[in-house]
Amino acid sequence: MLNAISDVRDLLATQQYIASDEISTAMFLADKLGKPLLAEGPAGVGKTELAKCWAKATGYALIRLQCYEGLDETKALYEWEYAKQLLYTQLLRDKLGDLLGDATSLRDAADRLAAEEDVFFSERFLLPRPLLQAITSEQPVVLLIDEIDRADAEFEAFLLEVLSDFQVSVPELGTLKAKHQPVVLLTSNNTRELSEALKRRCLYVHIDYPDLEAELRVIQLKVPGLTAKLAREAVELVQRLRTMDLRKHPSVSETIDWARALVELNSSQIDAQTLNTTLNVLLKHESDIQRAKRSLQAGEPRPERPERPRGGYRGGELNN
Amino acid sequence: MDRRITEFVAALRASGVRVSPAEAADAMRAIEQAGISERRFFALAMQASLIKDAKDQTTFQELFPLYFGKETPPPLAPPGGGQLNAEQLQQLLQQLEQQLAQLPSPELARLLRAMLTGQGLSPQELGQIMGALMPPHVSNPRYRDWMTQQALRELNFKQLERALRALLAQLRAQGMDEQIVQAIAAAARANQEALAAQIAQAVAEQMAEQAREEGHTRMRSRSESALLDRPFDQIDAGDLDDMRKVVARLTARLRTRLALRQRRGHTGTLDAKTTIRTNQRFGGIPMVVRYRKRHLKPKLVIFCDRSVSTQQVMAFLLLMVYSLHDQLSRTRSFAFIDQLYDISIYFAEARPEAAINQIFEQIHPTRSYSTDLGRALKQFCQEHLSCVDRRTTVIVLGDGRNNDNDPGLAAFAQVRARARRVVWFATEEQWRWGVYDPGSLSSDIYAYAPMCDAMHEVTTLRQLADAIDGLFVRA
Repeated sequence: MLNAISDVRDLLATQQYIASDEISTAMFLADKLGKPLLAEGPAGVGKTELAKCWAKATGYALIRLQCYEGLDETKALYEWEYAKQLLYTQLLRDKLGDLLGDATSLRDAADRLAAEEDVFFSERFLLPRPLLQAITSEQPVVLLIDEIDRADAEFEAFLLEVLSDFQVSVPELGTLKAKHQPVVLLTSNNTRELSEALKRRCLYVHIDYPDLEAELRVIQLKVPGLTAKLAREAVELVQRLRTMDLRKHPSVSETIDWARALVELNSSQIDAQTLNTTLNVLLKHESDIQRAKRSLQAGEPRPERPERPRGGYRGGELNN
Repeated sequence: MDRRITEFVAALRASGVRVSPAEAADAMRAIEQAGISERRFFALAMQASLIKDAKDQTTFQELFPLYFGKETPPPLAPPGGGQLNAEQLQQLLQQLEQQLAQLPSPELARLLRAMLTGQGLSPQELGQIMGALMPPHVSNPRYRDWMTQQALRELNFKQLERALRALLAQLRAQGMDEQIVQAIAAAARANQEALAAQIAQAVAEQMAEQAREEGHTRMRSRSESALLDRPFDQIDAGDLDDMRKVVARLTARLRTRLALRQRRGHTGTLDAKTTIRTNQRFGGIPMVVRYRKRHLKPKLVIFCDRSVSTQQVMAFLLLMVYSLHDQLSRTRSFAFIDQLYDISIYFAEARPEAAINQIFEQIHPTRSYSTDLGRALKQFCQEHLSCVDRRTTVIVLGDGRNNDNDPGLAAFAQVRARARRVVWFATEEQWRWGVYDPGSLSSDIYAYAPMCDAMHEVTTLRQLADAIDGLFVRA
């Protein structure tokens, strides 16, 4: 079992995940305190990867719930399997006939049917979705709730019960409690503010773009084919792109893709030709690519001057 | 230790970080697990359990060393870097005694002695020095450097430099080797800096202490709801950054709301095809009924009064509208002063923030009262009327103060006749509508009002958001 924070780092390192001290501390505490961990940060810095690697490193199964706008309980928690229920009623028609055949009145028949009701509302017909799976699992699991900021605020409120007590209420069955408390990881790209109530129940770690040395280590680990010199050049360029005013900055995963591309293309250095052909791996907007090319070729990034006024009104001081 | 942590939590709260008692309890448990032997992990464990927002991390990092940073101050350098022999040392100490006698205050004497002998201040000594000073009168951490400088000035810290120079001159006069004198000077100056840093730390601690005592009296001004309700004309430059973040969040919320509305807004028409397809799994028995969805994506034409008073609201309106561009089918925007400027072209080329900045740089109001909506409307009817059709919602942002020019009601009626809806966003409070104002003369807003489908007062961000939300409601 985990004894120290450095154990977490070593454990993640076995999965080729380089964890910063922040991440290891937060992960350690999440495991020890049994609280969910909320990881926030720009896209592509390894938030989801953290959960995957943690699952692999600890040998637990990973259950993933991808959030999206309009996600509701039936998709996240459970659903009654109507089709199976229908099928069973069809198949059991004779049996039902036997049961109800000698009923004298309608009320009597209904009462008899009601007595058998729990056959149809049992766990047999319950279709478990990720959250219920994680809670009812016989083995300890890692539950990843990905991009929680995409889900609606009402879904967030619904998560509160699950995250604080690790239990779920199904009206027909009662409350199901977790056999093993799952390790829960929530990720968010911070496109909207999450509610205080949710944040209060979680530990928090903010994962930002790594600095040059850290990113270099990631690249060398993930793309061993790249020479040390080229790797440094590439990472330096990516770091420079991140300081520019772009619509979307290249993420770590895109750096890795780009490094792989450089290996595949057998590049020996990063020149204009290589950039021209491979910059679209890093940048995903045409305007970004153009801007990056211009400022990379001009050398130092220089502040962009606004164009000359078009039909502008050159007035005096602002007043009215 | 627990007490110290509670104090730290109180200080965090005082500087505007929201920490609930449950989180404070979590922090205690976290520290039990992480241990306090390694300072870095201790700090990170606290951070993970107390700080739930990236922007509060700087506050945490500022305050943490003040409460748990009781590291021993860096040792001071021995006199002359330790290369003095006994005789020279004797000489130095003698001169030092002379200088000390001349210094005006005992605090300075203590500091000078520490500088030259390299014996650091004990906590009591530091306490005495700080006790002799006026406590900082501001508790906002932004003014920390300033308060430190004030403390140093009050101590007459510069006097130390003068005393040091006099001392060095004396040593030279006594025929001490120049190299040794230089070494003594270098060590003394380094010590001086270290002492200044120590005093700065003490001042910062005092300030944090004060902030904690003031506690909740100093509410954070940038709380979201306060910003939402602040009138646009009271927004200063310091708030703009926070405002922009609020706008981004507001936009995201509006988008979610639109999506929900579209999901829940049944039009009532059965969609037979989808219903059959979804119910395949129930053997064709229609258990789930699907309705036809109709996406309402309004076309917008926006007129903005580009004057100084409406500058902020115009920026936020355009920012929100263009951030919602995926929910709109087409947006044309115009600014007017005394004539009309098509500003859609800026948005075609740049992101909304950049485009808005360009617009403000390039379209200036003049000194004279020149706003003339009437003329702008006429110009619009001549040149751009084709962009208004029966699906278009026309928004006019302005106060209707037309400087006694012709209000151009005929042109307005022409636009009205073609558009689906005309909505007026008034930048003044309702009680000022139509009221004669010596600054900007008469207001024609009530001349336009009968032709508008809705009039919204937009003097705060919340009203603006509600007004924009109203655009998407099926009328």
